[in-house]
Amino acid sequence: MAAGTLYTYPENWRAFKAQIAAQYSGARLKVASTSPAFTFGQTNRTPAFLNNFPLGKVPAYQGDDGFCLFESNAIAHYLSNDALRGATPQAAAQVLQWVNFADSEIIPPASAWVFPTLGIMQFNKQATEQAKEDVKRALTVLNQHLNTRTFLVGERVSLADISVACSMLWLYKQVLEPAFRQPYSNVTRWFVTCVNQPEFKAVLGEVKLCEKMAQFDAKKFSEMQPKKDTPPKKEKAGKEAAKPQEKKEKKKEEKKPAPEEEMDDCDAVLAAEPKTKDPFAHLSKSTFVMDEFKRKYSNEDTLTVALPHFWEHFDREGYSIWYSQYKYPEELTLTFKSCNLITGMFQRLDKLRKNAFASVILFGTNNDSSISGIWIFRGQELAFTLSEDWQIDYESYDWRKLDSDSEECKTMVKEYFAWEGDFKHVGKAFNQGKVFK
Amino acid sequence: MAVRELSSLEKYLGLKKPNKYSTQGDKKNNNGPPLAGLATIAHQLVKEAERPELLGDTAESRAVVHQWLEYSVTKLDSYTKEDIKIILKDLSLYLLDKVYLAGNQFTVADTLMYYGIHPVMVDLTIQEKERYVTVTRWFDHIQHHPGVRQRLPPVLIHRNRIYMADTIEI
Repeated sequence: MAAGTLYTYPENWRAFKAQIAAQYSGARLKVASTSPAFTFGQTNRTPAFLNNFPLGKVPAYQGDDGFCLFESNAIAHYLSNDALRGATPQAAAQVLQWVNFADSEIIPPASAWVFPTLGIMQFNKQATEQAKEDVKRALTVLNQHLNTRTFLVGERVSLADISVACSMLWLYKQVLEPAFRQPYSNVTRWFVTCVNQPEFKAVLGEVKLCEKMAQFDAKKFSEMQPKKDTPPKKEKAGKEAAKPQEKKEKKKEEKKPAPEEEMDDCDAVLAAEPKTKDPFAHLSKSTFVMDEFKRKYSNEDTLTVALPHFWEHFDREGYSIWYSQYKYPEELTLTFKSCNLITGMFQRLDKLRKNAFASVILFGTNNDSSISGIWIFRGQELAFTLSEDWQIDYESYDWRKLDSDSEECKTMVKEYFAWEGDFKHVGKAFNQGKVFK
Repeated sequence: MAVRELSSLEKYLGLKKPNKYSTQGDKKNNNGPPLAGLATIAHQLVKEAERPELLGDTAESRAVVHQWLEYSVTKLDSYTKEDIKIILKDLSLYLLDKVYLAGNQFTVADTLMYYGIHPVMVDLTIQEKERYVTVTRWFDHIQHHPGVRQRLPPVLIHRNRIYMADTIEI
């Protein structure tokens, strides 16, 4: 029977796999996760540690007999018994199949979705939406499989269940709210059963399923970031991680190498873009940070957070506020068509996103509607003339520049941003709104 | 029929000295007053075997174990064809989000329900097994639980769905 020490930082789901396997097999496993036995960021950089585990990553296992292993799946496999590994070649292969499924189908999207909610990764709406779709796909596969089965392989808990359940811990704790997980009831039934087995419980404690989907935590994220002016990646490797802040940084890197690299590529593309041809290049730098406002608008309450933020930081020199009204309301028929008109315009203006924000609203009902909106642009002129790509739609609208100090402007901004209010100048009821951001 | 189930339970628990049962399912306790009733006797047997976890690990699951023992007594002792449909519907709805009848562990409720419903499952067509897929899943899991099935014939379960895509009818 295996006996040894598992090095990890506390609450590491990768280490959990090995710990639970040991619970089942009876392997004697000591966990070194706190000082003095193990200090993350220090112990794993020492030559002695690196000699045994060249990557310097955790979890890492050292047997009492000196046998060393890194990579969590290998450690969990080693600490298992035959029943967990799969007793027949077929079962063992199926176990391996699900272990890999967890690593390649669940972990990448789960990390991309969950880490921003924990404040350890910047929020990116597209990445999050994509991750949600990918998670749904993995859940569908699991749900189908578990429709006729109690556990993933055979009729008892195996390493497959341990690996997949551990890979879904954060999903179930942070974001899989009841409405989201409702179509995947087989998966939830299986997950709840797993984490409530005594062997799981001994390691995980009580697992409480998410009640409300966690959103991006901007405050926590900024707290966890290293100082702005230092290049974020390279210097980490250089300096030793004495500061706790850097330690957390490192931890994040440890957890999800894949998404961070993707993020980097993404950033690189974005950063490269304006250099090629920026229609706003002639304007001096503004103090109003559009992205920050958009984050506030997307992630927090409009009336209590986003609007006060907007008026506090709005730069009337660098930006202008415009009221737009569709010229041909009598041509608007079915509401869904009218909505497509708005979203279509937004799509054609894609390259303007960095320098503009708009909330456009459809009022009224089928065959009796109007479209109007509030736009914020970089500069004092209508932005559409700056690029020919942007000139398809704007002539169908009447444009009026608003005085940002006027009461009228304040009211309109408030009503259009919040999608509620009297909309006195319209005379029709709010139907639906679209936001360009 | 309660007699047969109790002897099976006794065997599953590995009790050495078989108790004597009358045809009514009364137990002539080897050392103590006679007991009557399936649920009561099942409790007693589990205690004799010193397997308290089989009665449920929390107050709530102990109550649920009791509930299903009672259900087995009242619904599965004698039933008509129509009753079977109701029982299967009851169970498939209940087992939608559960692996075991009570809590998250195997209990004596699963054992006795298995013995009670075995004759029903043997006679189900493949199509019916698909219709009550949650019951089928549960049943298959329990019949694979070490020591439970004993001499009962295993019920064949098809994983591939033939009649229904992925809908669960309840």
